[in-house]
Amino acid sequence: MIAVENLVKRYGAFTAVDGVSLDVQPGQIHGFLGPNGAGKTTTIRMIAGLLKPTSGRILVNGHDADVEPEAAKASLGFIPDRPFVYEKLTAGEFLRFHAGIYGLDGAPVATRAKEMLEMFELTRWEHELIESFSHGMKQRLVMAAAFMHRPSAVLVDEPMVGLDPRGARLIKDVFRRMSERGVAILMSTHTLEVAEEMCDRISIILKGRIIAHGTVDELRTLAGSEDEELTPVFLKLTGGSGLQEIDEMV
Amino acid sequence: MAMERATTSPQPFTFLLAPALWASRNRARRRQRGDLTRAVIFGGIGLGVAGVLFAASFWVTWQVTQYADLGDYLLRLGLSWLFLTFLSFLAFSGVVTSLSTFFLSEDLRLLMAAPVASRRLFHARMLRTVGQASWMVVIFLVPVLAGVGVARCVGPAYYAIALVTVPPFAVIPVALGAMLTLALVNVFPARRARDVLMLMGLLFAGALVVLLRFVRPERLLRVESLPDVSAFFATLQSPITPMLPSFWAGETLFAGLMGGLDWLHLAALWTTALGLVVVARMAFGRWFFSGYSKAQEARRARFTKLTAVEAVVRALPMSAVRRHLLLKDVKVFLRDVSQWSQLLLLLALVVVYLYNFRVLDLDRIPYMTGVVKNVYGFLNLAMAGFVMATVAVRFVFPGVSSEGAAFWIIRTSPVKLRDFLWSKFWAGLLPLMLLALTLTIVGNRFLGVDPFLQIVTAIAVVFMSLALVGLATGLGARYPRFQAENINQVAGSYGGVAFMISAVLYIATMIALIGWGASNYLWAQARRRAMHGDELTAVIIGFGLAAVVSLVVFGWSMRSGVKALDAMDQTPA
Repeated sequence: MIAVENLVKRYGAFTAVDGVSLDVQPGQIHGFLGPNGAGKTTTIRMIAGLLKPTSGRILVNGHDADVEPEAAKASLGFIPDRPFVYEKLTAGEFLRFHAGIYGLDGAPVATRAKEMLEMFELTRWEHELIESFSHGMKQRLVMAAAFMHRPSAVLVDEPMVGLDPRGARLIKDVFRRMSERGVAILMSTHTLEVAEEMCDRISIILKGRIIAHGTVDELRTLAGSEDEELTPVFLKLTGGSGLQEIDEMV
Repeated sequence: MAMERATTSPQPFTFLLAPALWASRNRARRRQRGDLTRAVIFGGIGLGVAGVLFAASFWVTWQVTQYADLGDYLLRLGLSWLFLTFLSFLAFSGVVTSLSTFFLSEDLRLLMAAPVASRRLFHARMLRTVGQASWMVVIFLVPVLAGVGVARCVGPAYYAIALVTVPPFAVIPVALGAMLTLALVNVFPARRARDVLMLMGLLFAGALVVLLRFVRPERLLRVESLPDVSAFFATLQSPITPMLPSFWAGETLFAGLMGGLDWLHLAALWTTALGLVVVARMAFGRWFFSGYSKAQEARRARFTKLTAVEAVVRALPMSAVRRHLLLKDVKVFLRDVSQWSQLLLLLALVVVYLYNFRVLDLDRIPYMTGVVKNVYGFLNLAMAGFVMATVAVRFVFPGVSSEGAAFWIIRTSPVKLRDFLWSKFWAGLLPLMLLALTLTIVGNRFLGVDPFLQIVTAIAVVFMSLALVGLATGLGARYPRFQAENINQVAGSYGGVAFMISAVLYIATMIALIGWGASNYLWAQARRRAMHGDELTAVIIGFGLAAVVSLVVFGWSMRSGVKALDAMDQTPA
């Protein structure tokens, strides 16, 4: 559903993403992990059509993002890490606008908007201006918009930032239900518990390159770690925690 | 070595101003494309304006000085009136600025969470408010007061008096404005208070423009009306005038011009200024935190649903995508008070513009009235062009930038960027063309311009609207400023300046081409004969070239805008 082949992004002499390849199948939740500055967001933004790759190929639902960008985007939903939206629209208007730019119009849109607002627990805010929303509410609204047009694949950049535990639980449930219905989800996150709990497969990126990928068990084997949790596995693969130095500084 | 534990900040209050100063220093150090062009253009304009102000105040002072006692009286009244005008401006500016500096600034969260004594915070913010609210007045006053001083050949004592008069004069209205803001914020949520103030301010500015125009100050320039001058100024006086700081400042400076020192009024200025700062500090000490706290509360915002607008847009024959883009732009614009309220000022300027043509008494000119009227017809076309360019740089040029950090929504959707840019174009074209046609047609009717020329200029305005809106939309897409904190900043960016320069060149070309073509027709008309073959050719070539230039500017701008959007590598998200 989302296939990325040898994706490269260079800024002058600096290579932010260096030959990344990914394959997210329908119904799969694929975790994309890595330390800060590893190239996660850059990769996701290239797939979303926000950044031009230096080289490489992106296919979404069989459409080459370079050749048929509109068709690729029509199959995709994107949830950015920071929910910037039009503050002077109401939640309902924003969803209708979102549907409109995906070519949807008429009565079914109103029904779908109500469904999405209900799913993301925003029904009572439908007719309120977005400027009065909290960060978490805006985040949920952006997610509702991403699912409005029934995408085949969804890109999520840091989904849990700013969400309360109830919101986080809700999002996890929604993602699971969507993946059960065949939606492919590529999710970058720092929250390893979330990745461990939700992802069918995980790719770890470091300095722009994929250094490991597989299921949680496969990664554990790869790292040679006996630990149950993903955190030590991640730290081992990405180069330690520096806890000793932290102790000294504190 | 262990670091010390944090305590209440021992730094003086001026330390709290350091981030703003450092940021300004860093901005000045950072070189950006177009910095030099901007500096030359704005610096040149600034120096030009200062020069004109200096020359005007010098000339007026020199003229009134010729009338001995009457001249002194007029100068005294003039100074008092000048300061009275600034007093109202400063009071309003103080209210708006303090709303931002004391209650809405992003850095307040950091400062309020830090162990900074409230008194220090007040002093720092008050100083910043006074600076921000009054710099424009001070910059205006420098050449004006210098012009007055030079014309009266006064010594350095006058300039020293001016230096100690202006600061307390600026502090008084700003401190009062800050206290009014404090009261307002404790009653309304800050966001609502800002909208109310914005609207009030623009209504005030619009009313002032119309009022100043209808007072017809040009009457003062007529020699035969000189005896009425004192009566004119006297109408601006009232019994409470001597109680106002503007009167005190005027009196102090007038005494300085006469070689003396008016201790009473200078002392009144300083004691009132210091007293008000003390009172404001007490008021802020008592009510600031409750007001600030209220400013953080996310109240349910009141807004209009704009169902009528929605119905109109839905009735337009366009695709669903374009309709939704247009509807979104219209709603966002109409719900933002800081955006639509500027239309009120524009409306006031349009009224004044048309009124100027209404009162223009061209029939008083003894000969060639018809020629002069037609020349004014071209002037009207050029003015309409400049109005269009000014409105376009403010409302159309920022179209793409106004998406701001939410532009990711468009970029990740299956909307073609060409469709997106065209929706911006249409949203700008219709109102702008309507405005320019109104100015041209009504202006020409008031002037009594030749009917042929009326039709030509009306058609020219249609072409100019296409070209100018296309240019603004295209350059807006080529030079977007998605990170601008405020959409008003976009017009002053490099791209905005580039647009204005291109627009002026384009308008000049249009006037030259249409003027050349039309002059052949008018020449034949003046001689009461039919046009010769070569004159007809000149008309066709002139008008044809004007149409071609317009279409090329329009087509090239839109194409280059779409190309720039397609090639855009960085999108804020």
